[in-house]
Amino acid sequence: MYFLQRTLPLLVAFVAGVIGIFTYYVPVAQPVEITTSTWYRIIAAFALFLGIHSLLQMHWRRIRRNQAGWAFSAVVYIGFIVTIALAVYNNGKGPLQPLAPGDGLDLNWMYTHVHVAGGATMFSLLAFFIASAAYRTFRARSAEAVVLLVAALLVMLGRVPIGALISEHLPEVSQWLMATPNLAARRGILLGVSLGAIATALRIIFGIERSYLGEEGQ
Amino acid sequence: MIERLLNIDRRIVYLAVFFAVCIPLLIGFELPIKATPNVRAVYDSIESLSGNPDAVVLISFDYGPSSQPELQPMALAILRHCFSRNIRVVGVTLITEAVGLAMQAFETAGEEYGRVNGTDYAFLGFKAGGPILILNMGQDLHGAFPEDIRGVATSEMPITRNLRSLKDFDYVIDLAAGFPGVDEWIAYGQERYRFPLGAGCTAVMAPDFFPFLQSRQLDGLIGGLAGAAEYEALVGKRGMAVSGMRPQSVAHMVIIGFILLGNVVYFLHRSAVRKGPAA
Repeated sequence: MYFLQRTLPLLVAFVAGVIGIFTYYVPVAQPVEITTSTWYRIIAAFALFLGIHSLLQMHWRRIRRNQAGWAFSAVVYIGFIVTIALAVYNNGKGPLQPLAPGDGLDLNWMYTHVHVAGGATMFSLLAFFIASAAYRTFRARSAEAVVLLVAALLVMLGRVPIGALISEHLPEVSQWLMATPNLAARRGILLGVSLGAIATALRIIFGIERSYLGEEGQ
Repeated sequence: MIERLLNIDRRIVYLAVFFAVCIPLLIGFELPIKATPNVRAVYDSIESLSGNPDAVVLISFDYGPSSQPELQPMALAILRHCFSRNIRVVGVTLITEAVGLAMQAFETAGEEYGRVNGTDYAFLGFKAGGPILILNMGQDLHGAFPEDIRGVATSEMPITRNLRSLKDFDYVIDLAAGFPGVDEWIAYGQERYRFPLGAGCTAVMAPDFFPFLQSRQLDGLIGGLAGAAEYEALVGKRGMAVSGMRPQSVAHMVIIGFILLGNVVYFLHRSAVRKGPAA
């Protein structure tokens, strides 16, 4: 059991990591990269089934235990079953054919009138929450907060056409804030994150970082 | 009074935002829209391809319904620009949710300009793999996408027949709202296969990509609905994005007003608290 639970996953991570690095930097190993990247995509496709299984299992548990909000879990099941049924039916053409056009209740209708409309609604609600949160929390409590506040106001005004009506310099100031101080800070963050990601990747490849196996790193 | 303002009912804020969005949609007024250098760069890159009968642009639709209010007008404006200059367009997506939106964009712009699917444009659909799919497209485009969304072989379609790799595209644009998106197209695509890359993204993501503009890994960037409106203005066909600038402008003003009011109330409250014990 120890071999299957610890040694084998560490070995797989080591071999996959070394092959990934090797094929990226050594040109003669390019054909191997084509094969391994195809494997990756096949595994990624199967991960989709794992995700569906996990989602349905979690919501089934909520329904069975009558947990608070179980009705929302029931909506997940209804949505899933109806969408799958329409996709398999595919306007009478069957599941293995390309998406068939239709003008009634079909997968396209569900996508446009439920998924797209619902997604856009959720996104639009952000404006209300941002306005309320900005009123309550965006306060000039310190010198740093004042700088942040002034920069935010200038960018908010400069990014919409009404800013140019107030002053023709506002869009230029907004552009400068984005292209100079923002760029410098963002680049620093990017370098730090990238170095951290490289270090973490090496720790995983060499088996030092084992938290993905359910144990603490050493 | 100050206490009441400090703890203002959030429904009043919501109501103000609601009217700030609705009234400008009902009342038509013009706002000046001037393209920023980053949006103009994408426009100029596509414009430079006009007159080249073999030019093909690749658009990766990497956004879902939740971000379509910002990115779908962008996609339509770019497609209209390409079709108006007789530039052929191939579309792909790295996320499942984008398939319907991309198809709608191609159908709308294709019908407007009388373009033929398979000859003037093609949508290859979705394949699993995210960033690795980009790598596969660079290695072998026909292998990564053997068929388009209708089931027609990419090795037989006039538009994709001669395209073997990402290197064969004259320009690539990624319209993204998260992962996989612009970062992945730079790391696995542009850096590896060296093609000119432009990007479109949501407004909140745009600041993240400025380092890539300076390093010229991106040659242009369209950020949010404002960027889409600038692109529509450049193309000369004003649509959803330009219309959206009216409510967005007024909503920004209302939010700025609330931030300023919140700070005034905060300072009045703070000075009242400080005076309180002394009195």
